[in-house]
Parts: sequence; C-alpha cells; structure tokens
Amino acid sequence: MKKLYFIMAMLIVASMILTACGGAASEADCAKPEVFCVGLVTDVGKVNDKSFNQSAWEGVQKSQADGVADVVQFIETADAKDYAKNIATFGDAGYDVIVTVGFNLGEATFAAGAAYPNVKFIGVDQFQAWQFSEDTADDSANVTGLGFPEDNAGFLVGALAAMMSETHKLGAVCGTDVVPPVWRFGEGYKAGAAYADGMNGTTTEVFVVYHSDVGFDKTFTDPEWGAQTAKSMMDQGADAIFGCGGLTGNGAITAAAQAGKYAIGVDADQYLTLPEAAPRMLSSAMKLITPGVAELAAAAKDGSIVPGNFLGTAGYAPFHDLDGEVSAEIKAEMEKINAGLLDGSIKTGVSPVKP
Amino acid sequence: MNSRRFGFIAIIIIVLFSVVVSIGKVKQPPLLIVTSMLATTIAVATPLTLGALSGVFSERAGVVNIGIEGMMLTSAFFGWLGAIYMYHVFGFNNGISIVLGLIFAIITGGLMALLHAVLSITFKVDQIIGGTVINILAIGLTGFLNRQLFFGKNSFFGGSVPSSPGVLPTLHIPITEIFAPICSSEACLQGINAINRVFDQKPVAISAILLVFISHYILFNTRWGLRTRAVGEHPKAADTVGINVIKMRYANVIIGGMFAGLAGAYFTIESVPSFEPLLTNGRGFISLAAMIFGNWTPIGAWAAALVFGASQAMLINMQIFRDVIPPQWAFLQESYIVGLTPYILTMFILTGIIGKTTPPAADGVPYEK
Repeated sequence: MKKLYFIMAMLIVASMILTACGGAASEADCAKPEVFCVGLVTDVGKVNDKSFNQSAWEGVQKSQADGVADVVQFIETADAKDYAKNIATFGDAGYDVIVTVGFNLGEATFAAGAAYPNVKFIGVDQFQAWQFSEDTADDSANVTGLGFPEDNAGFLVGALAAMMSETHKLGAVCGTDVVPPVWRFGEGYKAGAAYADGMNGTTTEVFVVYHSDVGFDKTFTDPEWGAQTAKSMMDQGADAIFGCGGLTGNGAITAAAQAGKYAIGVDADQYLTLPEAAPRMLSSAMKLITPGVAELAAAAKDGSIVPGNFLGTAGYAPFHDLDGEVSAEIKAEMEKINAGLLDGSIKTGVSPVKP
Repeated sequence: MNSRRFGFIAIIIIVLFSVVVSIGKVKQPPLLIVTSMLATTIAVATPLTLGALSGVFSERAGVVNIGIEGMMLTSAFFGWLGAIYMYHVFGFNNGISIVLGLIFAIITGGLMALLHAVLSITFKVDQIIGGTVINILAIGLTGFLNRQLFFGKNSFFGGSVPSSPGVLPTLHIPITEIFAPICSSEACLQGINAINRVFDQKPVAISAILLVFISHYILFNTRWGLRTRAVGEHPKAADTVGINVIKMRYANVIIGGMFAGLAGAYFTIESVPSFEPLLTNGRGFISLAAMIFGNWTPIGAWAAALVFGASQAMLINMQIFRDVIPPQWAFLQESYIVGLTPYILTMFILTGIIGKTTPPAADGVPYEK
C-alpha cells in the first residue's frame, strides 16, 4: 500500500507541476523607479489565442521594441476567479503599467486601480462607465479603457461579404452577446450587409449565432462548436462566414475555409495567425489593438495618459490570397465606406449596448 | 434499455425538430432544415457517442471511468501533434500524416486507459480519484507540451504553430448513385438526395455509428461480451468458472480508452485542424451522462448522444431563425433555455420516471480474490 500512495502522490505532484508551468516570474526589479515595467493579464485563455490576447500582447511587445518598456511580462488567466490575484501579482511586483485584456476583467481592473494608485491600468475593451455618471465618488484616477468602434469593423466586413456573396446569405458565429463589443460586431455586420444591399439593390440574409448557451469560460474557447455552427449555416446556403469570438470563431473560420467558402476573421488580421484558413481568408474585422496598447503604454510613461475611455480605431484586413477575386469596384467601395466611417458620414446605427 | 425509453428519446428529438421546422419554414424549405439539422445532430453526437462507448466497455467490465474527458483531450493533442510531426519532420504527404495522426490518437487513448487500469485494477485505487488524476494530468500535460513545443523561445517549432496537414475528407457515400435509378417520381429523388446530404459525413462520424452496432453485437452476442458483463456484474462467480477477471478488465478498459482516443481524433483530425488547450470542453463528462441515460448499452448511449446533438442543432437554428420567432415563443431566443434540455432530461431519467437505470453490479468495486 505504501508503494501505491507514493505512485499516487508522484502523479498528482507531476500533474500539478505541469499545470502550473507557464508564466515565470520576472528577473528584473520592477520596484525601482528607473525600470519601466509593463505587465499583461490575459482573459481566460492563452496569450497565443491567435486573436484577442495575442494582439494586446504584441502591443506590449511593441512598446518594449520602441524602447518604452524595459521589462514586459504576461500572466495567463486559467480561471475567471483568478483575475484579481493575477493583477495583484504585477501590482505587488511594482509594475508601472498593467494591461488587462477583455471586457470580463473590467471590474477586477477597476478595483485594482484603487488598490494600486501608483500603477497605470490599461483595460483593453473595458468600457469605463464611471466617466458618464454624475457621482464623482467612484471615479478612477488611473484606469484607462481602450475601446474600439466594433460596429464599424463589423460594418466593413459585412458590407464586403454582402458584395462578394453569390447566394446572398451570410453567416456570423460569435462568442456571447452578453459582451457588448461582441454584440456590436454582430450588429455592425448586419448593418454593413444592409448598407451594401441599399447600394446594389440586393437582398442579403444574415444569420448571426452567439454561443450564449454556456458560461463565460467556455463561450470563447469552443472551436468544435464554432465549426459545427458554421457548417450548419453553410448547409443552409451561406457562402461567407464571419467568426467573431476567440477560439470559437476560429473554429467557424476554419470550417468555412475547408468548405471553400469565404472566411472572415476578427480582432487581428487572422490571415497571419490562422494558417489553416489562410487560403480562403477574405478579410478580418480589425480592432487596431496593437497600436492602441503601445500608444497608451507610451502615454503612461510620459504621463500624458488620461483616465477614462480611449477610443482606438477599427479597420479591415487586406484580402491577401483572394485579392484577385475582389473586383476593383468593390475595393474602391470598401475604401469609401472606411473613409465614411472614419469621418462620420456613414453611421452604423448600432447602439453601444444590447437594448 | 427498454422500448419505453427509446420511444421517449424519439419523441424528444421529433419535438425539437418540429419546433424548428414550424418556425423556420417561412425562411427555408422544411426538408432543407431537417437535413441540415440531422447532419449537425450526427456530427455533434460523434465525440459523445464514442465517449459513451468508451464508458460502456469500461463500466460493463466493472471499472468506473470518469477520465474519458482527459483521455479525449490527450488523444486530441497527440493525434494532432503526430500528424504535424509526420508532415513536417518526416516529410510524409498530407493523407498519410493525417492517417498516422489518427492512429497516434487511438494509441494515446489506449495508453491513458492503461494508466487508469493500472491504478484502479492492480493498485485498487478509488476509481473516481484515478479518473480525476487522469483528467488533471491531461490538462497539465497537453497545456505544457503545447507551450513548450510551439510557443517557447527555443521551442522545437520555433515559436509558432506550423500549418497542419489538414483534416480527414468528407466521405461521399453513393446513396444517390445507387438508389436514384429505382426512383420513378421527383419526390423520391429529392428524398434520396436529402438522405445523401445527411450522411455526407467524415470518416470518424461514420465509423462512430458503425461502432455502436459492432459494440452492441460484441457485448450481447459473443463470448467476449458475456465474459465482460460477467466480470462487471459478479466477478467472483466469473472467476470461479475460470474467467481471468483481471485480464478481462484490463482489456476492456484499454478498448474503452481507444474509443476515447478516436473521439479525441474527431476534434483535431476531423473537425478543426488545430489544437487549443481544453478544447474538449467537458464533452467527456456529457458522454458519461449519455452512457447513464442509455442505461450502459451502446445503442441506448447513442440515442442519448443524439438527443444532445439534436438540442445543439436546435440551438443553432433557433438563432438563425431568430427574427421570425413568433412573440409567444420568444423565450426560445434565450439559448440557455434550449441548452438546458438534455441536462433536464438526464435528471428526469435518473429519477426513474422513464424506466429504471441500473449500473453493472460490480461497477467501481476492485476485485479481490
């Protein structure tokens, strides 16, 4: 029996060590004022998620390459209950800037802002509601939310997909509509398709499906569900699939690419990050996260950062391999729509949160 | 598994489908909706069916296996890794790499099951704890190796995931070609085309259906099956008549592991050609529910897995037809309500309303001579 307990103990210890491996502590001393440290806490998921966490981490790495940050480090969140703990790890280590990625970390980031008044917080995709409330008691002095006009990004690819579709049926497979940015992507996509319809006199049907039937921890990390949902839409005639929502969306994009339909990515230029789908990647609805994070990190260093909401920009990715399939008229039209969205002459008509 | 419960399952599936058809028929032809939903149902049910078969073999032989989730995850990882290694390092072509990946996945499932067998049969560890160890080990092992091999600074693949050799192709079963000449009417031809669309599935999905019937035959019509059930019901009696209880249990747990391995291959070799940490997302546990729902029989477990698949197909389609849902049905837009269906059903079944659920008598009890 003794031998048995030993084997069991070894197995459990081994599995715990393997589970714990990942983020290693930084060597340099971030508590010193001359060392400028930027830490990043991911949402549940990995820093290599080929989407959201990855773009933000690239922004942090860019700030290091630009000479803004001396030390950069990330912590991957394994469970939603660890948000505060992971932020505190950086706070206690004396980091100067802490980047937290994703809407879900909003509350934890806001609370950490009060707990670590000397640290500047950059909350990617975190709407700072306090800025709009009458009550000044809950104002934050050091949390800046980096937001994006997701509806614009969705609008761009929606218009593109509607112009490219032959069946005039489009699909979108998204995370959960409980997260306002994800909902704005979906609604923007519909609005963009409707705009293109108005221009060309077509009637396009848009299927938008959210993975809202599971918890927050799973809604963005279920590629198999995404693939099945995309397949179901293609069975019903959709010939362009927009995957918006982390790994779930990636599954949908890959399935669309395998079936030879148009695949549309989200957040980053997924042509570069999703090789399996690259040949059929039409474009991506881009939140320009990387420059936004780098810009805010630089502003934090020179002290010009302003707490509250900071609006980054949206865009659409190049057509890459499918460049030949997109006609010159459509390209020109896309340029016009993008310019119109930037100068405000085209409005998506999407409200900030789901009514 | 009695006919009453089969009838109950059939009614549930028909109800789920009819709701969608009655709402969606203004947008799409009913036949298209039904075939699309059936195709989704079968595909979604594939890993659940295989996982449940894994549980059936293991538990029929008297070993509780809650490590199916971990076995699936590990096999999904090693199958995918094997395919990539074969493709990039050994330079095999796509097809051979994918098939080798599939074999790797099945072997991995078998090895994980061997670990479970050693723990629970030889060392007589509490089988729930043994299964939990497998699940934790799988998460740690795959997450760790995924990071070390692909994303570390000096990692083997240099910091990025190389393109995978792809996924298994769709098998075209020539139903139309065979039966079309017999057809005389247009309606018959349409029907055959529709059936063909439903069964345009990939190899693992098709083999899962075949394996259900093969497993049923093996368990209930062969000497091996009789012995398996004997060591799960009354191992002492089986031992008395000369059956090697330990050997039978080892063999069945490992066979079960190989089923879980095939389920793992479904994720990374058949569905999506990439591995993501935790990608099985609890489907191993849902397949355990399907196994119990199906009263530890292969066909029953399959039927239960189809209920889970059908409710997911309904979920997807309710959202596709969201804007034509009549106001009195508006609650169906809330996807979590529909998503609850299979879990509520499982609870109903366990309360014994629809027939009795009986596990093998010696399930979870280590055999001591």
